[in-house]
Amino acid sequence: MMSAHDQNHHSNNANSDENTTHFGFQTVDKNEKESKVAGVFHSVAQQYDVMNDLMSFGVHRLWKRFTIDASGVRPGNKVLDLAGGTGDLTAKFSQLVGREGKVILADINSSMLNVGRDKLRDRGLVQNIEYVQANAQYLPFEDNTFDVITIAFGLRNVTDKDMALRSMYRVLKPGGRLLVLEFSKPEHEIVNKAYDFYSFNILPKMGELVAKDGDSYQYLAESIRMHPDQETLKSMMNDAGFEQTSYKNLTGGVVALHKGYKF
Amino acid sequence: MQSPLSQQLMFAQALSAVVETLINQALVYNLHGTRALIALNEKTLTVKLAELGFPLNFSINAEKIHLTTGIVQSDCTLTTSIKTLIELKNQQKLTELIKQDKLDIDGDIKIAQRFAAIAETLDIDWRSELAKRIGDIPTYKIGQLGKSLAKKFSFASEQIQADATEWLVHEKNMVVASGELSNFAQQVEQVTEQVDEVSQRVNKLITQQNNKANRE
Repeated sequence: MMSAHDQNHHSNNANSDENTTHFGFQTVDKNEKESKVAGVFHSVAQQYDVMNDLMSFGVHRLWKRFTIDASGVRPGNKVLDLAGGTGDLTAKFSQLVGREGKVILADINSSMLNVGRDKLRDRGLVQNIEYVQANAQYLPFEDNTFDVITIAFGLRNVTDKDMALRSMYRVLKPGGRLLVLEFSKPEHEIVNKAYDFYSFNILPKMGELVAKDGDSYQYLAESIRMHPDQETLKSMMNDAGFEQTSYKNLTGGVVALHKGYKF
Repeated sequence: MQSPLSQQLMFAQALSAVVETLINQALVYNLHGTRALIALNEKTLTVKLAELGFPLNFSINAEKIHLTTGIVQSDCTLTTSIKTLIELKNQQKLTELIKQDKLDIDGDIKIAQRFAAIAETLDIDWRSELAKRIGDIPTYKIGQLGKSLAKKFSFASEQIQADATEWLVHEKNMVVASGELSNFAQQVEQVTEQVDEVSQRVNKLITQQNNKANRE
C-alpha cells in the first residue's frame, strides 16, 4: 500500500493534468468527480450524523465548537456555512447572529441539504436561516457579502479547491474571515500510523455495519489522505488572496482549523 | 493563553459544552421560566477568570444561554478570580473588591447584575422533576440516600480536617496551632509597646539634653 505522502505526491502529478483530479486514490476526469462525490453523499446523508458521532467518538462536536469560538461571530453578522451538510455549525451560528443576522446553509448535495433543513426546522431554527444548493467553485452570491465563511469537512470533496477558495474570497466582505475545518496530517508518526490503521481497516467496516455502505467510508478515508497537508492548504489560501492565514492543529493534527482574512 | 496541550485537547470547548448544557437544562426546570432572559436578548457577558486561560462569553438568544470561549465583542467584561466571583454573591462588596483590584469591570455593569439576578432567582424543584421520570418512591429513596451521604460526607470531612491538623501541628510541627499564633502575636504586641516606651524615653532625654545645651 502506498503511504499517504506518496499518494499525495502522486496526486500532485495527477493534478498537473488539467482534465483529471483524484477521487480518493483513483484518478478520474474532473467532470466525473462531482457526480461521484454526489453519489457518496446521497448514500450517507440519512446516517451522516450518527456516523460522525461513531467515527470521531463524538469529538467532531468539539472540533466544530472550536471553529465557532474562532469565528468571532456576533449579532447581526452574515455567515455562509459552506458544505454545511446537516447543519451543525448553522444551528449554533443562527443562535449567535440573532434576528438581525443571517446564516446561509449551502451544500452542493440536495440530500444533505434536505436532511439539514429538516433537522434545523425540527429544532425550531427557522427565522434567520436560508438554504442554498451551491457549488463552492461558483458561489451564487454578490461580491463582499459575508462577514464569516466556514467550510467544515467539505473542502477535500471539492473538485477544484483553488477555484473554490477564490470564490469564497470574492464573496467575503473586507475584514471578513474564512475558517476551513478539515482532516489533516497528524503531527506524530505513531498517531499517523494508528490513524491509518483505523481509517482503512475499521472505518469502512463501521460504515458497512451502520450505514450499509462500506465503499463511501473507504472513499472518506482515501479522500482525507489526498487532501493537502496544513502548510500546503495555508499557501493555497494565501494564493487565493487571504491574508494573516494561520492554522491550529486539533487532536494531534488529525484535524486542522485554517483561518484567513480578506482586507 | 491556553497551553498548546489544553488547546489540542480542546479543554475550553469541552468545558463550555458541559456548562452550557447544564445551564440551559437548569433554566428549563426553573420554576420562574426563562422570561428573565428576554431583557438580555442578544447581550453578552464575558467573564475572564485568572484560573482559566480563556474567556467565558455568555450570550443570550432565543431564551437560551450560549457559551463560547473565543474573543468576542462583549457588552460587559468581568476580570476576576473564582474566589472573588464567589464573594460577588454579596453585591454590597462590589466597590470594595474593585478598590482591592480583585475585580475589574469593563462595560455596562447592569448586564452583569441582570445575569447575577437570573442565577439568584433560579428555583428548581429537583424532587418533582425526578419523580416525573422515575416515580415517587425511588425519588424519596434517592432523597434519603442523598441526605445520609451528605451527613456522612460532612462527618468524614470534619474528621479528615481534624486528623490533618493533628498531624501537621503536633506530629510534624509544620504548622503552628492557633493558640501558639495568638500567643506569638501577643508577645509581638508587648515588644512593640516596650519599643514605643523606650522610644518615648529616648525622645524625652534628647529634648532634655537640647534644653540643657541651650541654657548653657
